[in-house]
Amino acid sequence: MKDNRLISIKNTLLISLLMFTLWSCKNDDNEIVKRNWELVWQDEFNTPGAPDAAKWTYDIGNGPNNDGWGNAELQSYTNRAENIVIADGKLKITAIKNGNAFTSARIKTQGLFEQGYGRIEASIKLPYGPGIWPAFWMIGNDVNTKGWPQCGEIDIMEGRGQEPNIIHGTVHGPGYSAGAAITASYGLQNARFDTDYHLFAVEWTENCIDFYVDDVLYSRITPEKVTGNWVYDHPFFIILNVAVGGNYVGWPTTSTPFPQTMYVDYVKVYKEVK
Amino acid sequence: MKTLKNKYLNCSLLALMLLVAGCSERDLNDLQQATQYKTTPEVFIDGFPGDLQYAAFGGSDVKAFDVDKEVKYAGIASMKIAVPAVNDPNGAYAGGVYFSTTGRDLSGYNCMTFWAKATKSASIDLIGFGNDLGANKYQVSLSGVAVNTNWKKFYIPIPDPSKLKMEKGMFFYSEGPENEEGYTFWIDEVKFENLGTIAHPQPQILGGVDKTTSAFNNIKITIDGLSETFNLPNGINQTVNVSPAFFEFNSSDPAVATVSETGVVSVIGGGNTVITAKMGDVDAVGSLNISSGGDFIHAPTPTLEASRVISLFSDAYTNVPVDYFNGYWQPYQTTKSADFEVNDDHVLNYTNFNFVGNGFSNPTVNASAMSHIHFDLFVPKGITGGQLKITVRDFGADGADGGNDDTNQTQTFTSLTTNAWNSLNIPIKSMAKRTKIGLIVYEIVGTSLTNFYLDNIYFYNDGSIIPAVPTVAAPNPTQPAANVLSIFSDAYTNVAGTDLNPGWGQATVVTQPTIAGNKTLLYTGLNYQGIQLAGSLNVSGKTYLHLDYYTANSSTLNVYLISTGPKEKGFALTVPSSANWTSVNIPLTTFSGVVNLSDVIQLKFDGNGNIYLDNIYFY
Repeated sequence: MKDNRLISIKNTLLISLLMFTLWSCKNDDNEIVKRNWELVWQDEFNTPGAPDAAKWTYDIGNGPNNDGWGNAELQSYTNRAENIVIADGKLKITAIKNGNAFTSARIKTQGLFEQGYGRIEASIKLPYGPGIWPAFWMIGNDVNTKGWPQCGEIDIMEGRGQEPNIIHGTVHGPGYSAGAAITASYGLQNARFDTDYHLFAVEWTENCIDFYVDDVLYSRITPEKVTGNWVYDHPFFIILNVAVGGNYVGWPTTSTPFPQTMYVDYVKVYKEVK
Repeated sequence: MKTLKNKYLNCSLLALMLLVAGCSERDLNDLQQATQYKTTPEVFIDGFPGDLQYAAFGGSDVKAFDVDKEVKYAGIASMKIAVPAVNDPNGAYAGGVYFSTTGRDLSGYNCMTFWAKATKSASIDLIGFGNDLGANKYQVSLSGVAVNTNWKKFYIPIPDPSKLKMEKGMFFYSEGPENEEGYTFWIDEVKFENLGTIAHPQPQILGGVDKTTSAFNNIKITIDGLSETFNLPNGINQTVNVSPAFFEFNSSDPAVATVSETGVVSVIGGGNTVITAKMGDVDAVGSLNISSGGDFIHAPTPTLEASRVISLFSDAYTNVPVDYFNGYWQPYQTTKSADFEVNDDHVLNYTNFNFVGNGFSNPTVNASAMSHIHFDLFVPKGITGGQLKITVRDFGADGADGGNDDTNQTQTFTSLTTNAWNSLNIPIKSMAKRTKIGLIVYEIVGTSLTNFYLDNIYFYNDGSIIPAVPTVAAPNPTQPAANVLSIFSDAYTNVAGTDLNPGWGQATVVTQPTIAGNKTLLYTGLNYQGIQLAGSLNVSGKTYLHLDYYTANSSTLNVYLISTGPKEKGFALTVPSSANWTSVNIPLTTFSGVVNLSDVIQLKFDGNGNIYLDNIYFY
């Protein structure tokens, strides 16, 4: 199930640390709209072994163009248990260093579960260390026909291991992708995302994508905020991965501790019930 | 590079160097608060809080530290440390302690932080806290603090803050010249913080390695390599040195070994135990698996006089310099060393043995006066059928291993006894060269002998080699002086007027060299040699003629008594002598049939070789 356009260019705008900015919305950006959510899909990772093949497929290797998935990432993705396994009720994606080579894993729901709108959330404990790039994100299911970034990309959570107290929420679309993507960051004042589980979520409706960390709304993206077409009107699929190195995060250093594991307690998807 | 210089501190030095750095105006109220251990986090922001004082380390430049109001990271001042260059008369390095006179409760913090920069890129030897000029019980430090010309924030996490309820050691540093040159660094905003961004603490003992060792009762082993790794706010791991008191040590079987609060293991019984440690709730990485044989069986104490021995490894002798007892030859050697000391007896222990070498080429050993090399080898329980090949190598003219001029002497020992000391002796007299021996190689034969102990490695002379010159003095006479008529001895008053070198036309050269502090009589190139007494000596009341002689090269040696006439009678002495002099007591009846014992006027020796003589007397 390789998709050679399944590439996300994640150079983002430089952003200041510990940003709590709420982007202006039509009325009240700060307003959390209470909605009724109905659980429609989940994986609580309670069955030890490989990920459930009915829910997840793998991306394998260094990317279809052998260019580190379009980002000069260093790792080769595998489906080996040392890189990806379910144990102790968690999905564990582990980046491993072998000399100067790295392996890790990336799984996705493409072709198995795709949805437009709703609440998409995951409880995750992040890996850490310079050059470690964990992500929980989505790509439009028309990526094969329209290409990227026309298909749209919603990065619910991306981390840079050299900043273990900060995560980023981003959208990429036509005219605002890669370094021009629309992004916001959320930082913990005196704690880190790699020492405990945090809930990363987007609440996505027709004209609004709200980014949450632990029920704190830190970014609201609307059609007015994006500098191109609003392409978030069709089903997307979910991706979980840990990359090593790349344009977005920089290279791991000799002081980067390996192996590094991202622990996912659960992924849940809801639909709004009106 | 220096090690922790404060080890060398003594109290009197400190008292001399105590410089008050902080303001010390305190009223009664302050003092009362002090006894409750303030939680003040600041160490140096723009000056020192009132409870802090500075003391320079012994041997350091006492003026290295100053407060700088020009260069600072924030506020109005920083700490400036001027590191001296090599050979600076004011001190060899910069180092000192900032200590709280009252003590502080730091249990609410998890990290010391500070900013630092320097006039050039440098690696500061040591910065830390917990040096209280006393026991330094809870000491934490960062080695090789990499500073450069930009201000940078540093973190020194506290391994277990709950222990720091009354800490006095607030900050210390130690730094020597960089590439022999002096330079300056600045420290600012030194304080304790409680940071949620310090994560993933991982304590280590023994450098984080699982080690194995064999041991015996009364052996003490210090658990070292104590550290803890933390992930800093930038995602990078940093390891700090941690004193033992932060750890809780454990022995899995306290009947085999106990471990003290300071990490010193005392072996008290036979069996197996594993030493581990915890830091708070976190298990330390690294362990020591001790296999104790119980009471140690010591190697037999050597009995040979030191003069007949060249010792490489023995507590019974003074050892010559040895370069190494384990050369760790790469890449094929698997042998590790686990040498130990029990009841003041040092023992070599080779584990995971395949082969190993003892090198001693600075200088090499001249074993020309030695006939054998000796080893005491203990085969631990559980090893049977152990066989060992030992090679002794002379380096030849070049004095170095190799070069096509080496000489090897090899012996294989095939019947080693288990759980006992085996006395191994290899003859080396037949070695073509043995004046520049520099190496002993031990090699396993078969696969059994994977572990053994060695003690008492020495070359010795079994008596078959007689050095040309005696190495010891002749034995001290034991006869009471009243019974003795002495001709030549330092032990008695000799009869007066004796001519030790009368001109009888002999070729013999007579000298009186001192051997081991004792004057002896030496006949070099003996053909014959007389001793002319001052007059007639009546020895008819005596029973024996005693003499001590030493010769390495004589094949014939006779001693004669001569009375007026001349009437003489000889007595053949066994030659060569022993390696440690030969003492003879010749019954005067040997001579009395010919010689008039009441009228002895001369003694005479004939034969060949070089003869040392001493203690010639009648009794």
